[in-house]
Amino acid sequence: MHPIIQIKDVTFTYSGSRRHALENVSLEIGEGEFVGVIGPSGAGKSTLAAVMSGAVPHHFIGELYGACLVDGRDTCEVTLTDVSRLVGSVLQDIDAQFVASNVRDELLFGLENFGVPHDEIPVRMQQALETVGIEDLRDREIATLSGGQKQKVAIAAILALRPRVLVLDEPTAALDPASSTLVFETLREVNRSAGITVVVIEQKVALLSEYCSRVVVFDQGKLVLDGTPHEVFAHGEQLRSIGVDSPRTARVSNSLAAAGLCEAGAPALSVEEAAALVAKVVGAKADGAVASGKRLTFDAAHSSASAPSARAEGGGAVVRFSSVGFSYPGGGASVRDLDLQVFPGEVVGIVGQNGAGKTTLTKLLNGLLKPAEGNVVVAGLNTREVPTSRIARHVSTLFQNPDRQICKDTVLDEVAFGLLLQGISPDEASARAKATCERFGLPLDEAPFSLSRGQRQMVALASVVVGEPQVIVLDEPTSGLDYRECMTVMETVRDMATRGSAVVMVCHDMEVVSDFASRLVVMANGEILGRGTCAEVFANSDLMRRAFVEPPQAIALASKLAAEVSPSFAGLSEVADIVAVAKELAGRA
Amino acid sequence: MLNVIDYMPGSTLLHKLNPVAKVALAAAIIAATFLAQSYAMLVGLLALTLAMGVYAGVANRLFTLMKLLVPLALILLVLQVAFMRAGTPVFGFVTDEGLVTGTKACLRLLGVALPLLLMLMVTPLGDLANACVEKLHIPYRYAFTFTTALRFVPVFSQEMNAIMEAQTARGVEYDTNNPFKKLKLMLPLCIPLLLSSVGKTDATALAAEQRGFYLRTRESAYDRYPFAARDYAAFALCAALIALGVLF
Repeated sequence: MHPIIQIKDVTFTYSGSRRHALENVSLEIGEGEFVGVIGPSGAGKSTLAAVMSGAVPHHFIGELYGACLVDGRDTCEVTLTDVSRLVGSVLQDIDAQFVASNVRDELLFGLENFGVPHDEIPVRMQQALETVGIEDLRDREIATLSGGQKQKVAIAAILALRPRVLVLDEPTAALDPASSTLVFETLREVNRSAGITVVVIEQKVALLSEYCSRVVVFDQGKLVLDGTPHEVFAHGEQLRSIGVDSPRTARVSNSLAAAGLCEAGAPALSVEEAAALVAKVVGAKADGAVASGKRLTFDAAHSSASAPSARAEGGGAVVRFSSVGFSYPGGGASVRDLDLQVFPGEVVGIVGQNGAGKTTLTKLLNGLLKPAEGNVVVAGLNTREVPTSRIARHVSTLFQNPDRQICKDTVLDEVAFGLLLQGISPDEASARAKATCERFGLPLDEAPFSLSRGQRQMVALASVVVGEPQVIVLDEPTSGLDYRECMTVMETVRDMATRGSAVVMVCHDMEVVSDFASRLVVMANGEILGRGTCAEVFANSDLMRRAFVEPPQAIALASKLAAEVSPSFAGLSEVADIVAVAKELAGRA
Repeated sequence: MLNVIDYMPGSTLLHKLNPVAKVALAAAIIAATFLAQSYAMLVGLLALTLAMGVYAGVANRLFTLMKLLVPLALILLVLQVAFMRAGTPVFGFVTDEGLVTGTKACLRLLGVALPLLLMLMVTPLGDLANACVEKLHIPYRYAFTFTTALRFVPVFSQEMNAIMEAQTARGVEYDTNNPFKKLKLMLPLCIPLLLSSVGKTDATALAAEQRGFYLRTRESAYDRYPFAARDYAAFALCAALIALGVLF
């Protein structure tokens, strides 16, 4: 394969930083490949994208060793504009990517600048819009589009320029699962029909393994793994140690391989592959296990009930929504007839598509919005009657973007700030904040803004935890975090729940939801469509379809196995349980 | 959430005018407002602006803006009246000349602010930039800077809102009714806002450069903005307005 991008022994250090962002990286990307890049935060993924697109060395200042050749030409020796003719890039912050206020102007911008003949422009625009599937958005103002639509407009604007390589930096970070899949479908279409090489930085391993022809893994500026998704995800243990998730199906097959039940080295990457593998492992005798299925299911259900069920511990609901309705004056995610109770010690997951009203629900809960109909009572306070800043003494919110929460000069002041607002004496606040920071391993005297994104989220989390609130609201707590940071955040949250806080969590990552939520509420179009335990809700395929929610891989696999192999798999939601049942059945066979 | 100065689609004559003609019209009304001395003329110019707004279907937004501007105008009136000591007293410290200059200052404030905002409401930003580059020979980078700044206004105000919501949810009393206390609480937020804006503008600069910003010339634009008869009529109106402003 002819390499379109050759990175030769590149080391890059941003000016002002002591650490190498990339260290001795050599990588060749062949024309027509679909490459996924993954790694924990701070691994140098965005820097890699910048090297490929010429932003390093032309835009970001620092020391660059080695060379990056795009179509045989050294990016150091040509201008950034010339590199951009071949390599189109979509930035991480999608709002900053746009240069115009409506879709048509956005597409025109590059075409005009690069001097595309004017009689060719309408054709190119039309083709780009059709490839991405957004002909209907042509005359829309960009400010009125949803996150997924914006992402597609950005891709179309680059596509119209007919680059040979498309580099995207976490295009699905802010999207719900359905929109994320659509973005990857679009990329696949671009890759196959237009023959454009795609390089995409992505944290969602299920998408990477399904769509990419090749996956490269970075850790601390170095390239650590490179191969097909099957080759890369066979190294489950190594990936976990550097903080990269594996698809749940790969965990199932890797565990079975570790037990010697199947061959190692070719992990199952889709639910179908995993189902076929388990069916083979369990063998033809699976029928014999039907009778004992009941007992196994019971065991598994018991082991997966790791989240505390404190409803039994007594006490009434700490959050109570009764027929709550709210609509925004300018239209948009309004909600109707919300009825909800949350008890101390519970982790309630709210799932649904973007625009289903999930964030509206969290804002009604913490008092940022006051209900138009019905009542919201939190910790005995009716949110209509009490100012938001008073409610904050009982409810703490962890927002998606920690930078909006952080406003102090040092980590210690930041964490203590919430306590001071609650009227706790400065000495005590400082002592409690110090203890919490030490528990999280945060540097006390550093400026929060000098920390990495993941650590800033930990600072924000610490300032939530320190107040020991009765209710914790999480709005997309894990977006933008790598796997390890995500687990630290969620385990802390679970910890808070065991200590008696009620947790309400809005989250797009269904794996996280199924691992940590004790109960789910499914929303669509501003209404609550259904509720129940994770297993119940995710197994309800009709409900899932109406809410545009994709069940997590493990649950999809369990229900497929239950239908096709053995009813023992019914109702399982965790990888370990599926593996245990499969082993048991295989042992009998 | 839409900004009051965002483009409002429509097909009225005002929408169809060449963006340069619209700028000229707004500039002429503003110039006339400064030149005019009589109440009749000042009120007439303001009425003309409002009538055009109603005609273009943006009356609601103009009145929203008026709600913001009128308190400002009243503050201006109070200051003028308080500091203007010439003329004969009407009652207390208020003099007749103070009242006259004060009310005129109010009318001028409204008369200057509204035409420009009206022009932005009926012109897509891209067209405005391209037409100014084509007809007025303004370098594209200035036109781009101007339109980008306007585009970022709602983006930053959303960011500011999000920051304030996050802080309120932590217990900072932004929901206080005391405006001075609120202002004092808002000051520390300038830092996060500034940081995020610098990051955003830098990213936009990179995105623009990667799409050939530096290759752009006056001939690059796909759309052309020729003057039509209605534009010449608008220019004639501009001249007439300025002449009226000088005379009255």
